[in-house]
Amino acid sequence: MTQELIERTLAGDESAARQLHDSHYPAVLRLAHMLLQNLQDAEDATQDAFVYAFRNLARYDQERASFATWLKVIVTSRCRDRQRRQRFHWLSLQRLTESGIEPEDETDDHQPDTAFELVGMQQMIWDALNQVPRKSRQALILRFFGQLSYREIAQALDCTISTAKSRVGYGLRTLGQILGSEAGAALGYHFGDAK
Amino acid sequence: MSKHLNDHQLLAYMEDSLSPSRREQANAHLGSCPTCRAALERMTQTAADLTGALQDIGDKVPLRPACSWEAVNRRRKSRDRPGLLGFSLRPYPRYAATLATIAILLGGLVAGIAVARTLVTTSMDADSTTPTPHTTLDVNPSSPPGPLPGHLTGGPPNPVGILILGIDGESASSNETDLLMLLYVDTETEKAFLLSIPREMFVEVQGHGQVRAGSVYGIGESDEGTDGLTLAGETMAATLDLPIHYTALVRFDSFVTLIDTIGGVDVDVLNEIDDPRFPDGQGGYDPLSIPAGQQHLDGALALRYARTRVVPAEGFDRTFRQRQIVLAAQERIMRLEMLPDLVAQSSTIWTTISGSLETNLSLTHAIELAVLMPDIPTDDVATASLDECCTVDHTTPSGEHGSLPESAAIKALVQSLLEEK
Repeated sequence: MTQELIERTLAGDESAARQLHDSHYPAVLRLAHMLLQNLQDAEDATQDAFVYAFRNLARYDQERASFATWLKVIVTSRCRDRQRRQRFHWLSLQRLTESGIEPEDETDDHQPDTAFELVGMQQMIWDALNQVPRKSRQALILRFFGQLSYREIAQALDCTISTAKSRVGYGLRTLGQILGSEAGAALGYHFGDAK
Repeated sequence: MSKHLNDHQLLAYMEDSLSPSRREQANAHLGSCPTCRAALERMTQTAADLTGALQDIGDKVPLRPACSWEAVNRRRKSRDRPGLLGFSLRPYPRYAATLATIAILLGGLVAGIAVARTLVTTSMDADSTTPTPHTTLDVNPSSPPGPLPGHLTGGPPNPVGILILGIDGESASSNETDLLMLLYVDTETEKAFLLSIPREMFVEVQGHGQVRAGSVYGIGESDEGTDGLTLAGETMAATLDLPIHYTALVRFDSFVTLIDTIGGVDVDVLNEIDDPRFPDGQGGYDPLSIPAGQQHLDGALALRYARTRVVPAEGFDRTFRQRQIVLAAQERIMRLEMLPDLVAQSSTIWTTISGSLETNLSLTHAIELAVLMPDIPTDDVATASLDECCTVDHTTPSGEHGSLPESAAIKALVQSLLEEK
């Protein structure tokens, strides 16, 4: 089905391209949102990913990965590009502040937002997840939300497979510790009675 | 009791990816170690809870597929596409032509290096039967006489910084560089980045004060005691606080010579090219028409084929055609299989490249780099430009507008370029 859409898109069929976009858009946007935690940024990264995917569609190889997986790896890379740029941005802001000059726009628009209400367990896990160091957090999201293999995670995060596994392992342990700690208990989390 | 299971092992146990023997060992340990049993239980539950929560959270993300499609569709069709080397042309649209040329010429340089590489390998295989390669190879007057790589003392620098300067066709007579880029490669960590430097950025040049980056080359050319390449290299190294070992200047018109030297290129023209509005360089039009199919293009035609802005079919755009030309050029050079020909050709090719490509990178060094340069895929070369992220707007007392570099921000940028990707 997807492969057929890809071939039709390559042959210039506009409706196939649209279908290809629409059917994969939710998963890509959701993953981008998990990684960036900001809807606007996630939408931008999603568009970047699709534009890249369409321009490089001829290079997609179904033997190597499913189209959905290919898109997830691409969008992760776009998200990381964005985070990298934001870090410079932040650095230059910090420099301005240090030099005593007030930056014109302090309300940088890259604060994590929540475009929706989270309740109970979701909120607890979301908050705890945000205390996990960034690299491990990304690995956890790719593994348990993106359902990527370690090889694909390694590709998306540009690290070795072994590092990808370590990040997931470390991330899970850290997350478990946060949830199991007093903070987790204060949030109402108890091992054993979740769900 | 055996050693506790680490995160890695617990994860592998949980995901059932341990080998049978390892699994047996782990089972044995778990049977006798309540700590590890608890850790495994916790990890399993954390994973399950995390999966469930992320699923629920994902479902709440508001979806706007129509908006997304509209934006994606507009952008995927726009001509404003990333350049050959993977960076966006958007910040410097008017350098697009230059960028394309540089990219193609770099491809040419790579092709030259490929020839050199073949020669090195071949000369090792067939030492006694062939003329001593390095005497033939050392055609570049600036190349220090010396033995072939491998015997060189010290070897090439690592990391290596190469400053690339470009002068567009329209301003070929002046010495103002339209394009400045730094290619930085660490052959050990296999990290590489390409950094664009705006020509309007002011840099400090000894004896001249604040000068626009684009003018440094010209100042060096007219100054006694130095030259454009040296001054540009030194100035940028000081500004960016990065080592610059080689500098290369590419002129637009050299592309034609390069292609002609190798006898033109053969490309598969996917769709007919018909561009009635191809600029003639004097403000008028010089219509371009190339029929579809396998075509042999000489230098001038290849240049126009790569430059025309018409997109006859989805994907068959400039960047695609530029890649075609680069690959065709490489293929043509590599196809000159017979060794005597290759030896004869390589000096001609190198002379052409180094004649139209002014550089202080000697052939000997180019060979060394070629041998040692890791095969970093183009997609993995991080790219950035010194835009607002690391510069501030500045106007000189004489009223010139431009930007001033901020060294701390540049440092941070470089650092992250080397860390990521």
